Amino acid sequence: MFMQRLRAGRIITGAEAGILGAALLLVMIFAIASDSFLTQYNVFNLTRTQSLYMFVALAQAIMLVTGNMNLSVGAIAGLTAVTFGYTVDTLGLPWPLCVLIALSVSLGTGFFNGFVMTKLGVNSFIVTLSTLFIFTGIVYGVSEGYSYRNIPASFKAIGRGSFLGLPYLFYLMLGTLGAVWYMFRYTIFGRQLLATGSNKEAAELSGINTNRIIMGANLLSSLFAGVGGLLWVSRLGSAQPAIGENWLIISFAVAIIGGTALAGGRITALGLFAGGLIMVLIKNGLILVQANVYFEQAFLGSIILLTILLDRAREVWSAKARKS
Amino acid sequence: MKHFKSTAKATLMGLALATAWGAAATAEEARFAWYASTVHPYFDEVQTGVDAFSEKTGIEVVKRLGQDWTQDNQNENVSAMAAQGFTHFSIFPSDVAGAQGLYEELAERGVTIVDFGQATQDPTPASFYVGTQAKEAAMQATEALIEAMGGSGNIINILEVPGENTRLRDEGVQEVVARYPDVQIIQTVGDLATIEGSVEKVQNAIAANLGNIDGMIATGYTPTVAVAELLTEYHEQGGEKIHFFGIDTDAVVMDAIRDGHIDGTLAQNPYGHGYIPLEILRLMSEGYTPVEGTHAIDAGVLTVTADNIDTYEGEISTLTQGIIDSLVGTYLTK
Repeated sequence: MFMQRLRAGRIITGAEAGILGAALLLVMIFAIASDSFLTQYNVFNLTRTQSLYMFVALAQAIMLVTGNMNLSVGAIAGLTAVTFGYTVDTLGLPWPLCVLIALSVSLGTGFFNGFVMTKLGVNSFIVTLSTLFIFTGIVYGVSEGYSYRNIPASFKAIGRGSFLGLPYLFYLMLGTLGAVWYMFRYTIFGRQLLATGSNKEAAELSGINTNRIIMGANLLSSLFAGVGGLLWVSRLGSAQPAIGENWLIISFAVAIIGGTALAGGRITALGLFAGGLIMVLIKNGLILVQANVYFEQAFLGSIILLTILLDRAREVWSAKARKS
Repeated sequence: MKHFKSTAKATLMGLALATAWGAAATAEEARFAWYASTVHPYFDEVQTGVDAFSEKTGIEVVKRLGQDWTQDNQNENVSAMAAQGFTHFSIFPSDVAGAQGLYEELAERGVTIVDFGQATQDPTPASFYVGTQAKEAAMQATEALIEAMGGSGNIINILEVPGENTRLRDEGVQEVVARYPDVQIIQTVGDLATIEGSVEKVQNAIAANLGNIDGMIATGYTPTVAVAELLTEYHEQGGEKIHFFGIDTDAVVMDAIRDGHIDGTLAQNPYGHGYIPLEILRLMSEGYTPVEGTHAIDAGVLTVTADNIDTYEGEISTLTQGIIDSLVGTYLTK
């Protein structure tokens, strides 16, 4: 029964299998190439970073799926982190309350982005490019570049603790991806997100309030960015205003490697999982093989491109095979 | 479009500088300005030196921070300040090569510039550079690390973003390691621009060399903060001792020293980086000129460990005063 469903593509689609296959191939290569690869320390850190990447990617993918984008994901994460740091360190509030305040701020940013996009009709690129600067400016205005260090140990445990050798964050990632998979597969909102991204006009003609859907995507995107920012605080042990500064490229790269369509209408939770894994594996592998530090970005870009080309080739071959 | 933008930018800059020239030429008194790239704890510390200079001399210094680290942003802001009639600038160049164009145009119009924090590449119109000598500081940190390691062992060399200063720091680390036959650099990790990226790369490097690392050295601010965070976690979770020396005195780094997770850091002299350039500019506005062959003024660095963590600031003040006292004669003449 399981194998039938698997072969029919109801459990893993061809696209997901391709990305997952590429990730597994990289795991095998690095496992053979380096004794250090499968050590408990490395596996712990790989899965922890993958988990953090996943929230970064989800923040972008949820917008891409509607045919929009969010360039301010990193700035939202930074603002959430600084809000948390300020409330927990400077104001001395209990951390669960600070988490709620910080996430309210991140949702507020999503609402603002969504409002300008849907009510004022401004393109998502323009809106989020502007708010990238606005939110970053607020981050540095509030923090003045300083980090907040008095983070409660119980909060730090979220980003540093483990269960059965794997970080808590890994389980949090699996739960979140499960929820995302369920949402797109079985909920009306999820299907309407996909419909809006596939063809906005058709979606509107079929009665979908696309503005409401885009607003929902903005709220979800900012929520994922905010959660990602908080998890980085927990992992680092301090709320750094620089959190989120390198998120933009990662958010697009992981989402696209993971099979999210830039034009909208397609997302896969399993693909995102594999995309995140591929990204951390490549970065981990470059260190393991001691790649020249000055050429590192060129290596990284080349491997990402190669991975995407391989997946594209697999799609072309599959299409040809189906025709014949 | 790109061409149009460049032309428009150049025209605006030219207009601003032309106005600046007019203002500078007619100004009866020197007007002092301090400029740094953007918000950063280092610049906050530098500003304490600037404020102390103003307080002591009664000279007003207008301070301005840019919006980001790009040279473009600096060009626009400094040109605008020059247009307001400022004649003497203490500047942190955002790009040590890219700042040349701006400086040349300012200098042609009689504006005097002193670099602080990092030096523009030679030949430069800046009269002086006041700051840390990148290579010498890296050598000092490496010596301290090797001493903490007991004179032998394996090191991971952690570098910031590629650039002239990073290259010098790398050279400094390698030169010192070459003096110790029992010390090897087993891995160099680089291009660490952000806190998250630094944490990820350094933890990957630890994983790749687990059980084989005796020490790590970081010669940039961001990786130092990241390693301090990382080693705090690593040691708290029972990881075997890895010695570490970094640079700068971020609160995260100082906490890690106090708690014994890292060995130490190099304290630069940001107070001096603020005060000394303005004192030089003041003297130059009074007719002093640079002594031939002088340009770089080492504001000094101090190795901070758990032993002197509460007293090192006093030592830095003494160092600064010594440099100020030696300016006329050693670096400036009339």
